[in-house]
Amino acid sequence: MRVLAPVLKGILYGVVGYVLGGPALAALVRTLGGSFPFDLELAMGSVLGTVGWLAGVGMWDVWARGWFGLPLRHWPEEEGLGRYFRFTTDHKVIGIQYLVTFLGLFFLGGLLALLMRWELMQPGQQLLTWNGFNQVMSLHGILMIAVAVAIFLGGLGNYCVPLMIGARDMAFPRINALSYWLTPPVAVMLLGSLLVGGWDSGWTAYPPLSEVNAPGQVLMIVAVVIFGLSSILGGINFLVTIARLRAPGMTWDRLPIFVWSVFAASLLSFIFTQYLAASLLMVLLDRVAGMSFFHFARGGTPVVYQQLFWFYSHPAVYIMILPAFGAALEVLTHFARTPLYAYRWVVGGFLGIVGLSGIVWAHHNFTSGMPDWMHAPMMATTEAISVPTGLVFLGALGTLVRGQLWLKTPMLFALGWVWNFLIGGITGIFNADVATDLHLHDTYFVVGHFHYTIMGGEIFALLAALYYWYPKITGRMYDERLGRLHFWWTFLAFNATFLPMFWVGLHGMNRRIADYPAPLAGVNFWISIAAFLLGGSFLVFLYNFVVSWVRGPQAEANPWHASTLEWQVPSPPPVENFPAPPAVVGPPYGYGMAGVRHAVLGVAGGSEE
Amino acid sequence: MRAGAVVGLWAVLSALFLGAASRFGAFPLGAAREAEVADRAFRFLMVLASPVVAAVVSVLVYALATRRGRGDPPEAPAYVPEHPAVPRAWFALTAALCAYVVYNPGLVGLAEIRGVPLGRLVARGRYAAVGLPQLPPGGELVVRVRASRWFWQFEYPEQGVTSRDLVLPVGRRVRFEITSTDIVHSFWVPAFRTKIDAVPNLTTYLHVTPTRAGSYEQSVDLRVQCAELCGVGHALMASPVRVVEPEAFEAWVAQQARR
Repeated sequence: MRVLAPVLKGILYGVVGYVLGGPALAALVRTLGGSFPFDLELAMGSVLGTVGWLAGVGMWDVWARGWFGLPLRHWPEEEGLGRYFRFTTDHKVIGIQYLVTFLGLFFLGGLLALLMRWELMQPGQQLLTWNGFNQVMSLHGILMIAVAVAIFLGGLGNYCVPLMIGARDMAFPRINALSYWLTPPVAVMLLGSLLVGGWDSGWTAYPPLSEVNAPGQVLMIVAVVIFGLSSILGGINFLVTIARLRAPGMTWDRLPIFVWSVFAASLLSFIFTQYLAASLLMVLLDRVAGMSFFHFARGGTPVVYQQLFWFYSHPAVYIMILPAFGAALEVLTHFARTPLYAYRWVVGGFLGIVGLSGIVWAHHNFTSGMPDWMHAPMMATTEAISVPTGLVFLGALGTLVRGQLWLKTPMLFALGWVWNFLIGGITGIFNADVATDLHLHDTYFVVGHFHYTIMGGEIFALLAALYYWYPKITGRMYDERLGRLHFWWTFLAFNATFLPMFWVGLHGMNRRIADYPAPLAGVNFWISIAAFLLGGSFLVFLYNFVVSWVRGPQAEANPWHASTLEWQVPSPPPVENFPAPPAVVGPPYGYGMAGVRHAVLGVAGGSEE
Repeated sequence: MRAGAVVGLWAVLSALFLGAASRFGAFPLGAAREAEVADRAFRFLMVLASPVVAAVVSVLVYALATRRGRGDPPEAPAYVPEHPAVPRAWFALTAALCAYVVYNPGLVGLAEIRGVPLGRLVARGRYAAVGLPQLPPGGELVVRVRASRWFWQFEYPEQGVTSRDLVLPVGRRVRFEITSTDIVHSFWVPAFRTKIDAVPNLTTYLHVTPTRAGSYEQSVDLRVQCAELCGVGHALMASPVRVVEPEAFEAWVAQQARR
C-alpha cells in the first residue's frame, strides 16, 4: 500500500479534477440556465482529470511547488520497488515504466485482435455485434499505434540512450518523468471510452463519422492529444540529450547506430506530432462548439482532415520504424562480431527517411477525391523512400556476409526482421503505385502490408532488442531455449497469419469489416487459426521474461561481449550509471580491429584506469 | 569466392521468382479496361520485385549456410576495410530501379488507367481526369452515385432512371459522378479494380469501361462495396452489379422507366 501511495493519490486527485471540470461545472452551467453538451463535459473533465492525476502522482510535490516559490517535497530516495510507482526522474526507471506499461497495452491490443479474428473466422455474425466489432477494431488500432510510437523511444530509448552515450541521465529528467506519467490517463481514457459508447471510427477517426458517433470519440481525441504532448516532450528530450550530453570523445560518427535512429525518430516526433493534435482538435471543436471544419451538414470539407491527419501520421510510421531499424542493426552488428557495414551510409539513410517522410503523406489519399495532379508527385516521393531504406538493408546485409554469426535469440529476431521488413517494404510499392493502389487501398492488402512493417518489422526488432538488453535491464539471464522456441513459433505463426492477407485483400476483402463474402471464408478461417497460434506464442515470451526476472541466473555485466558503453557497467547499472564520465576513444563497433577500443571508463574521483 | 556464391544463388533464385511472377494470375474477376491495366501493373511489380527479394534471400541463405561462427561468442573476423565502391554502386542501382518503378508501372500505369497521355498527369484540373479523350455526344454513359448510410443509389440522368442495382452496358465508357449525403463512403467495384471516395459537399469522378458481361450472382467481385469505414452498417453496404449487352441494357432501361 505504501508503495502505491503516490498512484492512489494521483487517482484521487484525478477523479476530483474530472468531477470539478466535467459534471460539476456542467451542472453549474445548466442550473444557471446555460447549455453544456455532454461531449464538452467529457473533454473538460478528462483534461482537468489529467492535471489532477499529474499533481497527485508527484508532479506538484517534486516540481511544481517550486514554480510558486514553495519548498519542494522530495519522495524518499529512489530505491526499491516504490520508485516505479512515483514521479521518479531516473531514466532507467522511466524506461522500465514505459516498457511494462506498453507491453501490457500490447497484450491487451493483441487480445482485441484475437476477438476480431474469432468474429472473422466464418462469414456472418458470431461473437460481436456490428457496432461491437467496430469498437474492438478501433481500440485495437489506437492501442497498437500508441504502443508502436511509445515503446521504443519511451522504453528502450530512455533506458539505453543515456547509457550508450555515456551520460548520467536525460537532459530534462523531470520532463522525462512528465512524458511517462501523461500516458496512464491516455490508457484510462481509451479504455474508459467504452463506458460512454466507445467509438467506431478506427484509429484514423475520419470526420464526419467521428463527429456524429458516440461520445467515446471525445475521450479518444483528448487521449490522443495528450499522448501527442507526451511524444513531443520525449522528442525534445532525446534531441537535447543526444546533442548535448555525449561523453567526451563521443563524436557523431562514434554514436552507436541505435542512438542515431532515436535521434532521427525524435526529430520526426518533435516536428510532426502537432499536426495530429491540430486535426483532432478541429474535430473536437466541430463536435462541442458547432464549428464547421468538416461537418457535412454545415458545409465542411472532410478531405482537408485527411490531408492534415496524414501529414503527421505518415511520418509517425517512421517514428515507429526508425528506432527499430537502429535496434535491429545494433543486434546484427554485435552478433555478427563485425563493425556495422557502411555506417555512414546507414546514417544517411535514416536522415534521408526523415527528409522524405514529410512529403509523401498523400499516398494515403489517392482515392480520397483530392486533386488528380497530386497523384504522380506523391507516388514518386513515396517510392523514393525505398532508396534510403535500401541503405538500411545494405548495412544489414553487408554486416551479415562479413561477420561470424552468433545465433542467439536476439540475433534470430533480428534475422526475422530482415525477412519481414523485406516483405513489408516490397508490398509498400504496390500501395504506392496508383494503378494498383486504386484497387488495393482500404483492403486487407494494406492490413497485411502495415502488419509486416510494424509488427514484423518494429515488433520483431523490439523483441530482438528486449532479449538483447534483458540481462542489462534486469540483471538476470533469460532462458535461451525458451527464447528460441518463442522466435520460431512467433516467426512462423506471424507469416502464416499475415501472408494470406495479401491474397484476401487482392480478392476483394476490404478493411474494418465484421463480415465478408462467402468465397473468402476458407482463407479467413486459416488466418484466424494462425492468429490464435501467434497469440499463443507470446505466452512463451511472457513466461520466460517473468520467471527469469524472478529466478533466472545472475547476468554478467557483459554477457554478449559487446563493445558499446552500456555493457561496460554492471547489470543492472547503478543509479548514477558511470562512476565518472567515460572517455570515448574509438569507433562503437571495433570487432576484429586490433588494438581498437570504444571507450575507457573513468573511476570515481577522476583518475583513469 | 564470397561474391561469386552470392551472385550465383541470386541468379538461380531470381530466375525462379521471375518465372513465377511473370505467370502470376491469381486475380479476382476482371470486368473492365481498368482492371486489365491494374493487373498488368500488379504483375509487373511482382516481376520487378523478384530480383530484389532474391538478392536479400540469397544473402540470408549464404550467411546462414557459411558464416555461422563457432564459440561463445565466435571469434571476431579480422576487419577488412570496406570497398567504397560497393555502397556507391548499391545506392546508384537502387536509385535507378526506383526511378524506373516510378516511371513504369508508376506514371505509365497511372496514365493508362486514367486513359490520358503521360504529359497530362499533373495538369491542373479539379477532381476529373484532365485530358480524357472526348467521346461523341451520348457516347459516355453518366451515372450519378449517391452514398448514404448504408446504401447506394444510382441515377441515370439521360435515361431518367434511378436504381438500387448498378446495371451497365458492355463496351461503353461510364462516367460516375459520386457524392455522399452524410459521411465519407467509398465506391469500389473489385472487378473494376478502382475506387474513389464518396464525400459530402463534393462530387468525385471515376471513369470505367466495362469489358465483360457478368453479374453478382456469378461473382461477388461484381458488387459496389463501401470501402471507407462508415459505422455500423459498413460491412453490409454493398449493391449488386450487372454488366450486360447493350441491347439488354436498353431493355432494362425501358423496363425501369415503365415502373
